[in-house]
Amino acid sequence: MTEIIPIKEGIFVNDNKGARLLANKCEKCGYIFFPKATFCLNCYADHLEDVELSQKGRLYSYTTGYMPSMHFTPPYAIGYIDLPEGVRIFTPLIIDENKPFNIGMELELIIEELWQEDDKRIIGYKFKPV
Amino acid sequence: MRPVAVIGVGQSVFGKFPNKTAEELGREAVSAAIADSGIKPSDIQVAYTSRLYDVWVTGQCILKDVGIRGIEMVNVENACCGGATAFRGVWKEIADARYDVGIAIGIESMSTSPIAGKLIPPAKDDLEGQLGLTMPALFAIFARRQMEQYRTTIEDFAMVSVKNHHHGCMNPFAQYKKEFSVQDVLNSRMICDPITLLMCCPNTDGAAAVILCSYNIARRYTTKPIRVLGSSLLSGDYRFLQEDMTISPLGSLAAKKAYDMAGIGPEDLDVVELHDAFANEEMIRYEELGLCKVGEGTRFLREKSTWIGGKIPVNPSGGLLALGHPLSASGIRNIAEIVLHLRGEAGERQTPNAKVGLAHMLGGAVAGLEAGACGIHILAR
Repeated sequence: MTEIIPIKEGIFVNDNKGARLLANKCEKCGYIFFPKATFCLNCYADHLEDVELSQKGRLYSYTTGYMPSMHFTPPYAIGYIDLPEGVRIFTPLIIDENKPFNIGMELELIIEELWQEDDKRIIGYKFKPV
Repeated sequence: MRPVAVIGVGQSVFGKFPNKTAEELGREAVSAAIADSGIKPSDIQVAYTSRLYDVWVTGQCILKDVGIRGIEMVNVENACCGGATAFRGVWKEIADARYDVGIAIGIESMSTSPIAGKLIPPAKDDLEGQLGLTMPALFAIFARRQMEQYRTTIEDFAMVSVKNHHHGCMNPFAQYKKEFSVQDVLNSRMICDPITLLMCCPNTDGAAAVILCSYNIARRYTTKPIRVLGSSLLSGDYRFLQEDMTISPLGSLAAKKAYDMAGIGPEDLDVVELHDAFANEEMIRYEELGLCKVGEGTRFLREKSTWIGGKIPVNPSGGLLALGHPLSASGIRNIAEIVLHLRGEAGERQTPNAKVGLAHMLGGAVAGLEAGACGIHILAR
């Protein structure tokens, strides 16, 4: 049977409330970290509270790759998403012919398979145009 | 701190040499630098060598065959900034009066490396690398922001490549001695939209070496010692502190430190060599080095300020785009290029009456950081 493995443990959930990215926030200076930090990288405070990030954000920038990357065959799109919490996330993007990428456009989070290796399916986060 | 001079420079021809070992390329560069300096191999007291792929004791392997052994040898890796790091290592040894004469070597054989023919990935097991980030992808992402924020066009990006290939035609060591038009660059294969093949530096094999000594003994060896006025090397800050990806806090801070040490400003520079792994980054570098104001890099390019014969030639060697980019070698090679201009020995591509020059290098992608390292050196005659 195919084993399903997250690309990294503890960085997203996908349950009946939908897909969310898991971050944490410094209680002192308010910086938010994704993936979670073990202490605040901005002010070195120890205490961080868990937060879930918004499912929708705006495209900061993007590119479509036409040469293979480590796991993706061309064409594949990647970019940075600015989330309302003030966090910028690097992410694979889903190409939708009807919704060409534009800086500032709204995209939403989905969790799905990134690639397969041996008998494993590696799942992770992507963003797709709304 | 003692003043330090560069008294010898040398490089191998840059290109694709799958049948040459990295050590052979290294010996070509070292022998050229020793011949250029007029010193004997036995005069060298310390050696720093930089190479990224895929060895150990690389300096020892090169130097044993040119008669240098039994001295302090350090091998460093700092991605594409490795060469600048090795140079700074030797500079510190001599400035701190531990040694009087040393050699800095940068070397890379991409053709025989494990990443031959592939896009250069970030550090191994890096999350963003797993998710598809490569060097050209990252710079393509910057390019989209430049187009959005500054109305830079893909023709502007292409023009950087046209310029540097034009310069490369004047450099006998260049991998590509061929003129290209804007149309040629735009019509070349798309790598990461909007970055085309001819906007990317090629994979290159090559080596470069530089010999440094304490300034007070430099005239024993040469009538044209070149002083090291400023040196800086920094790692990148957290990416979450960088709001605008078209402005490099790392490069700006490294430049400020080098200018402060040298006691000069960008207006005093006559010639610049900088990291142009991708054509669009030249404009970002103009701004971070203070050659023009932030947001004016595109105008500065369009005014032809950075062509040979312009206000301040940038990458007269052909840069990484045309001369080629053997990763760890480039940071030594571009210092050597500045030295040639300051000596008045750069041939057809000479910057007239150059007195002060700057060599910039950048290296390494790490998730969460702006970049791995930035190294800047300012030299003067």
